[in-house]
Amino acid sequence: MKYLPLILRNVFRNKVRSIFTGISIAISLFPLMLLYAFLDLQDDMASSTAQYNRVAVLHEGGLAGQLPIAYVDRVRRQPGVKDAIPLSWFGGNYREEKTQFAQFATDPKVFFEIYPEYACPPDQIAAWQSDKTGCLVGSVIAENKGWKIGDKIPLQGNIYPVDLELTVRGIYDGPDTADRSWLVFHFDYFDESLKEARTPNSGNAGIIMLRTESASKMSPVMQSIESAFASSDAPVKPMTEKEFGASFLEMMGNVRGFIRMTATAIVIALICVAANTMAMAVRERTREIALFKAIGFNRNTILGMFLAESIAIGLLGGLIGGIGTKFLFSLIDLSSVDPGLGMFYVPWRTALWGVALAAAIGLFSGLIPAWRAANVSVIEGLRKVV
Amino acid sequence: MVPLKYNIRSLRARKVGSLMTIFGIGMVVWASIFAFGLSSGLDKTLEIAAEPLDVIVLRKGSTSEAVSAVTEKAARDIKALPGIATGSDGQPLAASELVVFAYLPRRGADIKVNVSVRGVDAVSRALRKEMTIVEGRELKPGVREAIVSRAMSNRFQNLGLGDKFKVDGGEFEVVGIFEAGGGAVESEIWTDQRVLAQIAKRTGAMSSLQFRAASVADQERLIERIKNDEQIDLGALTEKQYYAEQAAQSGLIKFVGYIIAFVLTIGAMFAVANTMYGAIASRAREIGTLRALGFGRFSILTAFMLESLLLCLAGAALGCLAALAVNFLLGGIQTGTMNPGTFTEVAFSFDFGPKILLQGIFLAIVMGLIGGFLPAFRAVRMKVVDALREV
Repeated sequence: MKYLPLILRNVFRNKVRSIFTGISIAISLFPLMLLYAFLDLQDDMASSTAQYNRVAVLHEGGLAGQLPIAYVDRVRRQPGVKDAIPLSWFGGNYREEKTQFAQFATDPKVFFEIYPEYACPPDQIAAWQSDKTGCLVGSVIAENKGWKIGDKIPLQGNIYPVDLELTVRGIYDGPDTADRSWLVFHFDYFDESLKEARTPNSGNAGIIMLRTESASKMSPVMQSIESAFASSDAPVKPMTEKEFGASFLEMMGNVRGFIRMTATAIVIALICVAANTMAMAVRERTREIALFKAIGFNRNTILGMFLAESIAIGLLGGLIGGIGTKFLFSLIDLSSVDPGLGMFYVPWRTALWGVALAAAIGLFSGLIPAWRAANVSVIEGLRKVV
Repeated sequence: MVPLKYNIRSLRARKVGSLMTIFGIGMVVWASIFAFGLSSGLDKTLEIAAEPLDVIVLRKGSTSEAVSAVTEKAARDIKALPGIATGSDGQPLAASELVVFAYLPRRGADIKVNVSVRGVDAVSRALRKEMTIVEGRELKPGVREAIVSRAMSNRFQNLGLGDKFKVDGGEFEVVGIFEAGGGAVESEIWTDQRVLAQIAKRTGAMSSLQFRAASVADQERLIERIKNDEQIDLGALTEKQYYAEQAAQSGLIKFVGYIIAFVLTIGAMFAVANTMYGAIASRAREIGTLRALGFGRFSILTAFMLESLLLCLAGAALGCLAALAVNFLLGGIQTGTMNPGTFTEVAFSFDFGPKILLQGIFLAIVMGLIGGFLPAFRAVRMKVVDALREV
């Protein structure tokens, strides 16, 4: 510890170089943080929703299959099920926008029973429930699109040949991990519009989301539902909310593999960059190192000092890059770029992991230069003119 | 001018440092090329699919075939319109097709994803020239058979030659594997339209009607005609527009890719600046000597900028070669993702074409020029007397 002031002075001896190396690490860490935050968020969402014991019931043929709306009541009556709602993806286009956001037809009376973590003022809930063409929107999407209570939202059908005109009756909020980019509206209004248009797809519940009475009831409920509908026209596949969420990431393909590959390339590049810096530092100070040795500093001390210096530079970059990215994305909302993200922020553990990674980059990049420093020959080093 | 040889030899003299920098830059270029190659590969897949004269007719307001419906009567009416190109047999080059989903597991994964199954008629093949059967045989009409693209066959369980898979409860056998030179068809399974319609209980209406116009003028006229005809009451757009709209849905992938490349480039600039500062600091005497010999400030500036550029170009070459080598060793990097517009699997290959490589090289040049400028400027500002005195 007594060497700490010396190490810190060495770090800032060549200010430009150390700061440039630090910035280089910090900036390159930024896209890494972005990618890993995305993965960590998926996990966070999965673990934070686990306490609500939700199960998604899909058509055996996947999301494209049609589940008759009558199934919702049948699911609700299964022993162990607290309540259930339909979530029927509308997939309409809002104005001229090309990117879609989540729009679900559901049961307003039961919606908050299934999603108790969503918070909404009681008068707004009541207003939504009593207005058949009313809708409830998440706070994130409401802010992005500038929607306020009473605004009209026209949606042109894409999957279905009907256009809807909805009125915002409520705005819900929720914890950080909750998807606050949904728009939900009355299933009845949706289904009546379909019947008016005489399309064969009316009465489609989409998926059914249910809550079980307790965590231990989840797997028996899933089994009993699967067997209850096994021989019907539309056999079903129940999965936990966690599995359901994971299936979306899976659908995007080898996302994890791509992220890992990019991360590896970045880390290797940074080790090279930082190692170069340390090598320069050692070369410049060869004489000084020889002098240190001459007055009695041993190899291990020298090795440790240079490693510490290198780790300190890594940490400098890590703190700026890791913590900086976290704060940057608490200011900028990425989900306004793509509402499909639902929400985006950098969890603390991702940020801290970035700091640790930067320190590790510092350590690895310092190994060879520090080893060379430790092995500087005293006589030659003292003689050397740099 | 300071001869270029001076710079090359200087880089060689500081072998380890130069190599480290080149390697670092190479990695950054490599990662950027991958990000560009991914989004470009995805775009290209959708782009290649489009034949310039082809038109696709969908239900008004729908943007994808899977959610569209075109009645048999409307299809007949459109086929009878003048201006549609005719095949060698004199029949109009127009095909009504049915697109439904199969829900299949990828190889090595438990979770199933949607795959497009296209029910085709006799004309469908004529509208897509490049398709060739590379294994097995052609589809026979009237039976539960399917042909599958090579890419999908490699990616999915149950899609190998001779395997059986289910669509809406009906079982199909894979009798052939085809290739189509990239393009959206390579993400599809093809079956006989009538058989598929029967199994999917979709009689009376197909998903879409595709036809080839006889000329550009005919194409425009026909699209307007179909859009405005109240009897037909359908939407029509060129195939090009159709796929462009689908590509627009994958904006996030592109956005993330470009952010990564942009940010890494800035990060690498600082690394280049560091290396060049180091190079210049240790060569102060040399620079003084050069100045004393009569080389002007401008020659010194260009010399060091060139050195920085050389460093970065070497890195770019390394990055490009690494990307090409990986691509070559793996025989092309094939992957797949979910088309966010249709929620179906789209198989595609990374695109490491000249344009993508040039983009990577361009990034390296930017790194070299901007990263090298401040150090080179410092070299120029040195006073000859001081520089010569430096040890």
